[in-house]
Amino acid sequence: MDILLHLAAGFEAALTVTNLLFIALGIALGIVIGVIPGLGSVTAMAVLIPLTFYMSPLVAIAFLVGVNKGGTSGGAVPSILLNTPGTPESAASAFDGHPMACKGQGGKAMKYSLYSSVTGDTLSDLLLIALAAPFAAIALQFGPLELASVLFFAFALLAGLASESPLKGLIAIFVGIFLATIGLDPIDSTPRMTFGEVELFDGFPLTGVAIGALALSSIFEQMTTLHRYGERRATASLWANDRAANRLTAGEFFSHWRTIIRSAMIGSGVGMLPGLGVTLAAFLSYGAARRASKDPSSFGKGNPDGIVATEAANSAVVGSNLIPTIAIGIPGNIAAALLIGAFMIHGIVPGPFMLTMHGDIIYALFASMLIANFIHLAVGRVGISIWAHIARAPRSAVLPPVIALCIAGVYLPNQSMFEVAVMLGFAVLGLLMRHTGFSIVCLVIGFLLGGMFEASLRKTLLLYKADFSSVFSSPISVIFLALGLVVLARAFRKS
Amino acid sequence: MKTSSSRRSLLAAVAVVAIGSVFGLATEAWAGYPDRPVTLIVPYQAGGSTETLARVFAKALGDQLGQPVIVKTRPGGGGAVGSTEIAASAPDGYTIMLSGSDPLTWTPLTLKVEYDVDSFTYVAQISEYQQAIVVRQDSPDTSFEDLLARSKQQAGLTYADQNAMSRAFLEYIAGKEGIEWTGIPTKGGGEMVPLLLAGKIDFAWSGGIHGRYGGQIRVLASMNAERLAASPDAPSIREKYDISMPGHMLIVGPRGLAGDVVARLNMAIEAAVKDPGYLDLLENKLLFPSKFVGSEALTEDMEATISSLRTVAQVAH
Repeated sequence: MDILLHLAAGFEAALTVTNLLFIALGIALGIVIGVIPGLGSVTAMAVLIPLTFYMSPLVAIAFLVGVNKGGTSGGAVPSILLNTPGTPESAASAFDGHPMACKGQGGKAMKYSLYSSVTGDTLSDLLLIALAAPFAAIALQFGPLELASVLFFAFALLAGLASESPLKGLIAIFVGIFLATIGLDPIDSTPRMTFGEVELFDGFPLTGVAIGALALSSIFEQMTTLHRYGERRATASLWANDRAANRLTAGEFFSHWRTIIRSAMIGSGVGMLPGLGVTLAAFLSYGAARRASKDPSSFGKGNPDGIVATEAANSAVVGSNLIPTIAIGIPGNIAAALLIGAFMIHGIVPGPFMLTMHGDIIYALFASMLIANFIHLAVGRVGISIWAHIARAPRSAVLPPVIALCIAGVYLPNQSMFEVAVMLGFAVLGLLMRHTGFSIVCLVIGFLLGGMFEASLRKTLLLYKADFSSVFSSPISVIFLALGLVVLARAFRKS
Repeated sequence: MKTSSSRRSLLAAVAVVAIGSVFGLATEAWAGYPDRPVTLIVPYQAGGSTETLARVFAKALGDQLGQPVIVKTRPGGGGAVGSTEIAASAPDGYTIMLSGSDPLTWTPLTLKVEYDVDSFTYVAQISEYQQAIVVRQDSPDTSFEDLLARSKQQAGLTYADQNAMSRAFLEYIAGKEGIEWTGIPTKGGGEMVPLLLAGKIDFAWSGGIHGRYGGQIRVLASMNAERLAASPDAPSIREKYDISMPGHMLIVGPRGLAGDVVARLNMAIEAAVKDPGYLDLLENKLLFPSKFVGSEALTEDMEATISSLRTVAQVAH
């Protein structure tokens, strides 16, 4: 029970007033930044790191953990209320969250979202604390071949999930992958389809593509509806005055325990593999929840299970992506990379020896993460009553500022007008896709993971000298490829 | 948050300058550079070692210059996007860049970009990337010669590179030795280390991240001109092939930076690299050596570097 002793010492170090206040501040700032379309936890952390120069190491890292947690859950707010995902990872929350809001249950949907975030996060934090070392050993087994197989499985699952026809889903995914090939070739660094533009060397910027296609196109669509039918018919009240409609009891929430646990596992699994990312976790979990449901057709029409699945999974990534960071010093995603930067500034060298050399700080960090979950619950709960005012405000007053926020959010991280132009272009493409039944989500995921899919596929071909029998040397890869084929075949049979 | 406050301080500074110039042109005669905030471009993603270092360095440099130094990241194209921006900026000393030397040299020599190797004023070198050929600790190769011997028996050993220049140098060595290696590209140390530790590849090029993995990664050869301080027994490839990879960590400005501006920057940078907070981060956390080479010596060094890079570039392309 060595771990418990260390953890007790960690709690002792972490339970200071300063620490608690800064965690709360971090969560609040994270949520606010996460709510703005285009800005997520990554930007929030990058912007706030300089503030931490003046804090002690533990306070600084706990503060950033708070920012990361808040930023990941904040994106769900605009998804639910406005059908405009603040971050790509919360796009799936809009599927069921927005229909719930349209029935006047915006408050209830946001409570579902917050509670699932916190529970998923807590489960994944516990996994991290108990199992960092053995999990890192498993994660190390995922080389290029295994990653390519996992991605194939993910694409197969999404094609059947996000679109009415799996064929249209596949087409959207492949357009996304095609768009991801623009820029410097990951193997030979040859510029592809860049037309000599240096801005395009790294391809289309992800935030521009995601916010344009997912959020801005939805705003344009809503404004057209507003213009055509007027305020009253376009939207009913998102927040019924009847308090009962927006009440969510603990019993009602935990009746979704199957989805919560499944999603936390999916989120933790994706989180410990470097590079796969929060968005994939969210969609895989949404897909799994729909497949497991007795009534899959209720998804997308306001089934709370959809929100629970998405938010529990994307928040579960927050804890588990620290597994590779703490066990071998390799960040699981950009947010973890920023944390590593903060570790270094404060004198902790990330690497395989972090736990032995800086055990006291690491366990205090674990304790802070667990404490942060409770604070998150409280801060998020206060936030919901603030967002209620936005939900009650007329659409014609809310939508125009959101457009300004989209532009600012996409411009700010790299101060690039090019990214704003990309966002506007993809907003138009998104509108076209909405009207032709092609899934925007499939396009964005294809784009998001396309670069990684190409790189791991081509690395596999190089590593194994294009010998296809090498697939059978890896059980992990065989399992995922087979699952992918089964999922794809079933999706086509159903349609 | 940071951006808006820096924007505000910029506006304030602009206002002060404007008012100052109204109240007396006499100020211009003695008011030296810098009289407003300086922007320091970092052409890499936030979170990497260069950006982390730049944040601390900017504070130390700002203290020396008496004006805030604002870090602005412009990642993309392996540093090409930021380099394009600095090459196109006004040569007034208010926009400078902190980067490795490869986007300034290798990129324009091998790719079509909107600047060339003459587009920059080399202000100072502040450190050196610790470039090396590395293997896992339990690898059968205990020396660079072992690796070469095994490569001759076993064609197609796999290695991880991290950018076009590292690949070109390893291919150059393979060509000289008449052996065949298969390069697996990775985006940086964070992607290379798991491949190496899991045994998916035989060896790897490292830009310095191996310093954090003491007992798990072994250095076989230095790719810098000199042996690495932390691995004095591993030879430098210069000893055998008379080539080496430039590992400069540099401060540059656009072409045509005035002599007195360069001199002022040199003075401030030389003092800034002695800042204790910065030194601690650089030498104890990132395990990079602190170094100061002024503009004149650096410009000569870069000319030599560029001409030797041309040799490798011609072989590689």
